[in-house]
Amino acid sequence: MIADPLKTQSAAKMTESPQHSVAPVSARHDFVLEVNNFSVDYGVGEDMVRAVNDVTLKLRRSQVLGIAGESGSGKSTLVYAMTRLLRAPGVISSGDVKLNLTNEGDPEEVTPLSLVDASERELRNIRWSHVSIVLQSALNALNPVLRVSREFNEVLKTHRKGMTRSQRHDRSVELLKMVGLNEDRLARFPHELSGGQRQRIMIALALALDPELVIMDEPTTALDVVTQREIINELNDLRSRYGFAMIFITHDLSLLVELADEIVVMYAGAIVERAGASELYQAPRHPYTLGLLNSFPPLHGERRELAGIPGSPPDLAELPEGCSFAPRCPFAMQRCRHEAPPLTNIGDSDRSVACWLHSGDPSVRVPVELSREMNPSRTRVTALKERT
Amino acid sequence: MRMLARRLVLYIVTAWVAITANFLLPRLMPGNPIQTLIGKITGTVTPNEIRAIRLSFGMGFHQGLIAQYFTYLTQLLHGNFGVSITLGAPVSSILREAVPWTVGLIGLSTIFSFAIGTFGGALLGWTRGSRLDALIPTATFFQAVPYFFLATVMLLLFGSDLHWFPVLGAYSQTVTPGWNLAYISSVIRYGELPLLAIVLSSLAGWMLGMRNMMITMIGEDFVLMAVAKGLPRRKVIWHAARNAILPSIANLSLAIGLVVSGALLVELVFNYPGVGDLLLQAVLNEDYPLIQGIFLVITLAVLAANFLADIVYLWLDPRTRTVAAV
Repeated sequence: MIADPLKTQSAAKMTESPQHSVAPVSARHDFVLEVNNFSVDYGVGEDMVRAVNDVTLKLRRSQVLGIAGESGSGKSTLVYAMTRLLRAPGVISSGDVKLNLTNEGDPEEVTPLSLVDASERELRNIRWSHVSIVLQSALNALNPVLRVSREFNEVLKTHRKGMTRSQRHDRSVELLKMVGLNEDRLARFPHELSGGQRQRIMIALALALDPELVIMDEPTTALDVVTQREIINELNDLRSRYGFAMIFITHDLSLLVELADEIVVMYAGAIVERAGASELYQAPRHPYTLGLLNSFPPLHGERRELAGIPGSPPDLAELPEGCSFAPRCPFAMQRCRHEAPPLTNIGDSDRSVACWLHSGDPSVRVPVELSREMNPSRTRVTALKERT
Repeated sequence: MRMLARRLVLYIVTAWVAITANFLLPRLMPGNPIQTLIGKITGTVTPNEIRAIRLSFGMGFHQGLIAQYFTYLTQLLHGNFGVSITLGAPVSSILREAVPWTVGLIGLSTIFSFAIGTFGGALLGWTRGSRLDALIPTATFFQAVPYFFLATVMLLLFGSDLHWFPVLGAYSQTVTPGWNLAYISSVIRYGELPLLAIVLSSLAGWMLGMRNMMITMIGEDFVLMAVAKGLPRRKVIWHAARNAILPSIANLSLAIGLVVSGALLVELVFNYPGVGDLLLQAVLNEDYPLIQGIFLVITLAVLAANFLADIVYLWLDPRTRTVAAV
């Protein structure tokens, strides 16, 4: 029998995992980002479509929040709207997003900034220096007619006014080194680089100003699995070294499990399940989470049969009555087709799910797939650093 | 550099093909210019007179086609384009007279039109959906109106009636041509109205092209990134415009190539002494040497402009610098 390397190393990993290596923060500014009852619409009036529906989530400092869901589940819309990068016809219809900025002089002090109400000027000040973003396709995210050095220069010039030319150059070289690239890449144009190199440059660029929050919108989706692996390893490493918080969007749940501390699963614009990464992976509670898990081969651990989810994501303009997932759900009950389940905590745990199966009603028999227990000896599936 | 050398060779070959075609075409046509000229002379023409005419136009020697071709090439290299039949002067000196007017007027209008249109288009693209969009139908209207009609109306209204601009000709009859202030300012004054007319009628093309490219670019990820980077608005616009301008540059090269051919109608309406006017006269009078000379100059100008555009494009878009793997 081949020993599962994850099992043996997971305990050691836990004690030195990134969130613990950072100095403990007081409860006052425990969260870098707080999103409350956030809704986003596309269009207004009759043609309005609600893409994000009443989302509430919090992100602790130096932690990784994974957002998973199929295309059209609203995961990208959520983060773009949150950071006020959403373009017309997308509009924030309700809710609030609070970004807790640390002050440079006194790290104990935080200034909350409501991103929903922030002015253009305030937004420009926090962009990139506090919140940066990495997009799915680095080829499109880098201006095709500019050299790589220009991208770094521009960011440093805009936000670090005091830096001299040679300081900017040194910083750019340092950043490239951080992601394992040689400084000669600075003189290149995007089309002269490989997909993996481009994405590394994007990551280096995102870290240029030591942001508190880095948003990754499917940064590895366009890459082959080997490069994907390398980039995930690097991200884990960088995060433990620099302690930035991260929101990682992907449709690949097995990838998230390696990287995220907490995962929220979105379906039809709403959160259907929220749990710690390993809890979610080992003991999913929502039928949709189970479906997502069965759609991807796990990167580590035992093989399981790939099943996929029957049907396709719903048309947001014509959501079914009751639970949005009910038409595709193998466990749907009568109640699911009439009443939408709220997102509630399961028992007294801190994980929550929006599913009637877990409403506590004794007459409902929870399917065995959705009532698995956690295996405490395998709390986190992160043996990446040790592997390399 | 290798890229440029390769292009240069291509252009030289193209120029040679154009020159050869320019040589062959008139000779493939039925009749010849001497006969046309003789046809115009009233009264009887003696064979001696015909011989004299032939000789005066350098056609007295009976050469084979190949020999003629080499004579033609040698003459071209010496800047000898032949003698105009109707004007009786060397074609090269006639062209030297006409080309600067055309290049000055049409060239300047093209540059103005390009600059204003592109800048306006970038702005319109960025503020798409705002009230500024009303500029587009306005500009399109001026481009849609037949050019000679627009020019005539402007000439009558601003020139004849309101006397805002001087009309007819390229400079006032009271000044002496030369490098003196009076002459130069007169040239500028007389050029204003034709320039305005051309810019007004060609603005829409540049503006629409740039606006549409701009809208496409705004949707690109790198523009979103520019916003996410917290760059000031003008820098974000610059990111989009820097890429949106590339097709306009390609169009500009074509437009500049056509500058030399002149705008026939402009020159007619404003009585401007350019190449367009000259070409019309040459065609009406079947003045073959002059037609040939004008065509040659136009062809070479188009080629030169294209070469220039290639260089600019290589400089602006690094993606075109990649030489195909050998």
